[in-house]
Formats: sequence, C-alpha cells, structure tokens
Amino acid sequence: MKWRHKDLLDLDALQAEEIEHILHTAGPMKEILLRPMRKLPTLRGKSVVLLFYEPSTRTRTSFETAAKILGADTTNFSVAQSSVNKGESLLDTARTLQAMNVDLVIVRHSSSGAAEFLAQELRAGVINGGDGEHAHPTQALLDLFTLKEKLGSLQNKKIVIVGDILHSRVARSNVLGLKKLGAEVVLVGPPTLLPAEMKYLGVKLSYDLDAELPGADAVMALRLQLERQQSGLFPSIREYSKLYSLNRQRIKRTGKRTIVLHPGPMNRGIEIASDLAESPLSVIDEQVTNGVAVRMALIYLLIGGTSGDMA
Amino acid sequence: MIWLKGAFVVDPGQNLAAERDVVLKDGMIVKIAPNLQPEDVEAVLGLQSLEEIRQINAEGKYLFPGLVDVHVHLREPGQEDKEDIRSGSRAAIRGGFTSILAMANTIPVIDQRALVEFVRLQGQRAGFAKVYPVAAVTKGFKGEELVEMADLFEGGAVAFSDDGQGIQNAEIMRLALEYAKLTGCPIIAHCEDKNLAGKGVMRRGEASARLGLRGIPASAESVMVARDVLLAAETQGKLHIAHVSTKESVQIIKKAKEFGVDVTAEVNPHHLLFTDEDISLTATAYKVNPPLPTRADQEALIEGLLDGTIDMLATDHAPHTWEDKAKPFAEVPFGISALETALAAVWQGLVAKGKLSVPKLVELWSLKPAERFGLAAGTLKIGAPADMVLFDPDCKEVISADNLESKGHNTPFLGKEMQGFPVMVWVNGKLLLENRKIIDVKQYI
Repeated sequence: MKWRHKDLLDLDALQAEEIEHILHTAGPMKEILLRPMRKLPTLRGKSVVLLFYEPSTRTRTSFETAAKILGADTTNFSVAQSSVNKGESLLDTARTLQAMNVDLVIVRHSSSGAAEFLAQELRAGVINGGDGEHAHPTQALLDLFTLKEKLGSLQNKKIVIVGDILHSRVARSNVLGLKKLGAEVVLVGPPTLLPAEMKYLGVKLSYDLDAELPGADAVMALRLQLERQQSGLFPSIREYSKLYSLNRQRIKRTGKRTIVLHPGPMNRGIEIASDLAESPLSVIDEQVTNGVAVRMALIYLLIGGTSGDMA
Repeated sequence: MIWLKGAFVVDPGQNLAAERDVVLKDGMIVKIAPNLQPEDVEAVLGLQSLEEIRQINAEGKYLFPGLVDVHVHLREPGQEDKEDIRSGSRAAIRGGFTSILAMANTIPVIDQRALVEFVRLQGQRAGFAKVYPVAAVTKGFKGEELVEMADLFEGGAVAFSDDGQGIQNAEIMRLALEYAKLTGCPIIAHCEDKNLAGKGVMRRGEASARLGLRGIPASAESVMVARDVLLAAETQGKLHIAHVSTKESVQIIKKAKEFGVDVTAEVNPHHLLFTDEDISLTATAYKVNPPLPTRADQEALIEGLLDGTIDMLATDHAPHTWEDKAKPFAEVPFGISALETALAAVWQGLVAKGKLSVPKLVELWSLKPAERFGLAAGTLKIGAPADMVLFDPDCKEVISADNLESKGHNTPFLGKEMQGFPVMVWVNGKLLLENRKIIDVKQYI
C-alpha cells in the first residue's frame, strides 16, 4: 500500500485499510522492539521533534523510544525550558521548527486543533500526540493493535469504554477506529460526563455499567481527572467508584474471559481496582509495549517511505 | 448639490419602493419625485442653470437611507491595533452604514462623560460614519455600581450597555432599567450567564462534541433573556436585547412583546448565515460570541426576523488583529469583523434567495434602529439629512486584506467573492464613497 498522508491528526482521515496497514506494519516493529539488540539505520539522518505542551511521560517516552530505535535523531522541545514560556506563540514555534528543516513533529497540546494548526503551517509531517479533548490517534491505534492481538478480528466484538467520555480524546479516537474495524462499541459514564451530544459518534450510550458488561469482549477504563469532581460534574469519587469502577468481581458479569485496558496513568482504586489491573485479564502493560511498536510503524510510514527497507 | 436620476428608492419610512429622482441641497433631501426635468430641479434649487449640480445616473441601482448599525466595536481607546474610530467609521461607510453605535468595552471602559465625549469627537474628527457612543451600564464593567447615566447622556450617549461582559447580578440590571428612565435611553443587554457559558468556545451540541471543543449551552443566553424581559416588565424599563442567537430567546421575546414589555431585539448576520456545523478546528474567524447557532435556532431567528419579534439587524463588528486569531480555536478571542461584508452577506444569503424583501431589509437595518435609538436617520423624507446608500446588486468584489478599510480581517468571507455592495455613500449630503473607494476627507482639528 502506498502511504498518502503527510500527517496523522485523527483516525477519521484514515480508511479502514490504512488503519489495518499501520497495525500490520506494527507487527514486525514489535518483534524488533523485543530483540536484545534493537537499533535500525532506517531513519538515520531524519530529525524528529517532540513538542509537548502538556506534561506527559509515557507518550513522550514512547514516541522517543520509537524514533530512536528506527535511527532518527530526536529533540525534545519541552515547555519548561523553552521559549514557549517567554510567550512565543504556537505559530512562531512552528515557523522556527520549519526553519530548522525538521522531518517530523510530534505534538501534544491542551487546545483541540493544535496539531491541525501545526500541520497547516509545517512542511514537516505532524503526528498528533493528543490535542485538547479532540483526538489521540496513536493511543487509539495502540489499543486497536492490542485488541486485535488478543481478540483477532474486531468485527462484531463488543467493546465497552467507561468513564469521562465527554472530556476524553482517547474515547473519541478509539470509537472512530473501532467503528471502522467493525466493532460494536458501548460508551458508559454518568450523564454529566456522557451528555446526549456524544450521540454524534453513532454508538450506544449508557449510564449503567453493570447492564452493559454482559457479552463484552473488552472493557476499557478511562482515567478520571480528579478535578472534574471539584467542578461539580459528579458528587464524589466514592460514588463514582461505586458505579463505574472496574474490579474483579464486576468484570465477571461479562460472562467471558474479557480483557481489560487502560490508557494510563491509572488512578488505582478509583476507575480500576488494583486486583484487576494486576490480574491476567489486564493487558495494560502490553498496551505500553504495543504503543512503541505502533508509533514505530507510524513514524516509519510518515517519514521512512523513501529510505528503502525497514528492517 | 446633487441630482440623482432614476434610482430605485426603497424607503419604508414613507412607504416608498419605486423609481425616483432625488435632489440634495445643504446636506438634506429637498426633492424626491419621479422623472424630474432640468427645469424642475432648477426650480427646487432656485438656480438658473444646472452647471453647479452633479448629475448622477442611478438607473439599475437601489437608493436606501443610510444603514444604521447599533452594534459596533471600534476598540478605541485602548486597542487601536485592532481598530480605531477612524478606521472603523471608514469601514462602516464602505459597508453602507452611515450611523453606528460604538460599544463601551474599550480600555478604559466608556463609563465617564469625558470618555463618551472623546468617542463622539473622534467620530466627528474622522468625518465618516456618524459615531454614537454607547456608555457602560456599570463603572468599569464590574457589574456593581451604575454609571452617571444622566451626565453620560448629556455627553452624547444614546444607550447603555455592558456588552461584551453582561450583567450577572439581577438587582443591578433591575436598577439599571429603572435609573435609565432619567435618560429615555434603552439598556442594551448582552445576555450571557457566565456560569453556564463556562470555558465554552462554541455552541454546545454534537458539533462541539465532535471537535472536542468546550460548549456553551443555548441556555447561557436564554435564561438571561428571560430574566431581563421579566425585569423590564416589572420596571417598565426600556430594553434592547443584543445579538439574539437561540430559538428559546426568540420565543421569550415574542411572548414579552405580547405582554407589552418595551423590548426590542437585534440579530447578527453571521447567526443567520452560518451554523455550528460550519466550524472547523482551524476556522478561527468563525469563533464568535454568542456562538454560531444550530440549524434549528437559525430557522427560528429568520422566522423571528420576518414576524417582527426581532426588530433589527446589527453586525456586532468585532475586529481583531490577524495574530490574535492565528492560534488554536480555544485560545483566540471571540468576534467577527463584519462592517464591510454584512450587507453583501445578507443580500446574497437572504434577499437574493427571496427570504427577505428589500423594503424589509431597509426597515431592519435603517428605519427601526434609528427609531429605537432616537437617531436622525432611517428615512429619505424631505428635510431629512442626506445619509444615503446607492446600492448595486450586481457589484462583485473579492474580500481581501488589501481592500478592507477595517483593521480587522477576521471574517469568514476573507478571500471569497461576494455580490451586492454600496457603490456611493453620502453622509449629510457629502459623498464619502465612490466606486467602492473611500473619498478621503481632510482631517480637521
């Protein structure tokens, strides 16, 4: 398949075959990742900039590891030590990066649309590492990879996503990808975090986790931002956990050997109980490994296209 | 002295929509009649020959009374990088507006007589559209203490408004409606409940959910409209609702009018022509407050405009610099720069499509606003000031930074071709626009 995208901003821009192609490419990448000696010359001489405006350890490290294994040079442009704190606008930062002739920019930003904004300004490729409450396509891709690894085809598989759907870029991107691959998705959360307008996604919305668990092939718990409680969106952490926390007892309701995902970092004891996170049903650590593989695949597809063999 | 021949004059103030000749003298309209002959004109003007008279063939064009825009942000004093009174009043002329009301949310806020007089004088110094100051309702827009309304009125304020901010405290709003009776001026309400609006940047709904942008529920406006008409009813005060954008607001205003409340309302062209579905994450020119409505709201707004619930059109011209708007959507300021595109937009979007008649357009954008705010404008009756717009429905123009007089290029129409523009504009009989170009007047003082 000929790769036709300069950027990856969200999964809505990709066709199902393109998503499959990324996941297919991630397979051999994972093998490389698990080798004892893992450094490829594939992207030697290519420069990848990590532009993270929000604190993030796992996503940034995952991208950086992926780029380095492929042989690219990585530069961290993190907010704390940068001119961003001197009031430089995203536009001027984009122009600066352009002037440095970088090949790929991975951006995380608290404003929805920041990645698209950069993509319009830059000749370099842009990967959206999470923009506001809009999209987090690489998280969705690594979740899809993990789900397919465990469940095979996702056609008609029942996937339940539970938590703060309204503010979740992870949920939005996941639904786009899951629908394209034929899964049945159910979104679950309290009404204040799952308002009626989320029906735009075209999947079932429910307030009742216990009612949706039967038959679920996979359940994904979202991280709960604790400040949502302070802004009045739900009365207490206690009540939230009572209604929506995943634990070993509750997961039995699926009547299957259901796998459990979490994008991390976890609030243990709030959206997911430690006993479940540590159980064999949990694929949370594998999600992290797969994240590197999927990001390797993506970086390779975006900027490795002309550099010959991949491995 | 001017003899305008064969224009199609539309002046709902005298129930006129027909081909007429119009004669101007000393800044006023002195004759308006069909097919004038040279001797008629000489007689009217008391002249022996037509040598000193400019004769203009206006066949195929409309003549409107100068449009009156009751909602304009001119940014001066304080934010002259976005706009100033001169650039904004030139933009008004290019857009067909001969009288404009300048909102008070400048830096400093227009809450003292000296500031009201400054705005008025800056308008006179510029010498383009007539600039009428709107003064703040509360000192510093803090929503706590009323301004010296009587003094500000003497200084030239024609209305009071905390537009851009709104008044959260219902008791302050009630007091404002009472106290403004000393002046006879309306309170212009910016209806926005700050708690409901929160950190929203567009209308709350499926479109905002899809984009991952924080939503402003329709209720953020409607609950305040309901509050303010109830307060106007109780006080028998004079209320004007700015930028109505929701179906519920229209319903409430309609009901209030049935109960005899002294309320009028305006709608902005962008709320009639765009919806929340038109917003994309990088289209920051579409970010405006109140936010672009849903399709259902838009239909209700148009219906309200046609049935008289909504009394007038107004631009809410809100210029910003390009760098203000060159950021991610959530971070840019609200506002659309509209003076120079609004008429063409409404012409193309509503009039040319048969949704709005030409006389209704003139009523909504000239007669009614002049009446409500007590301005000497809005009609071409004999003896009225010759504030006039010669409008060419065939005139096309590509909107570009090069031809805009406003410093604000933050319009969804930038780069697009539009049709239906003023080709000549007069204020007090003085020609200020010809062939789409401002005629520079010498600045005095």
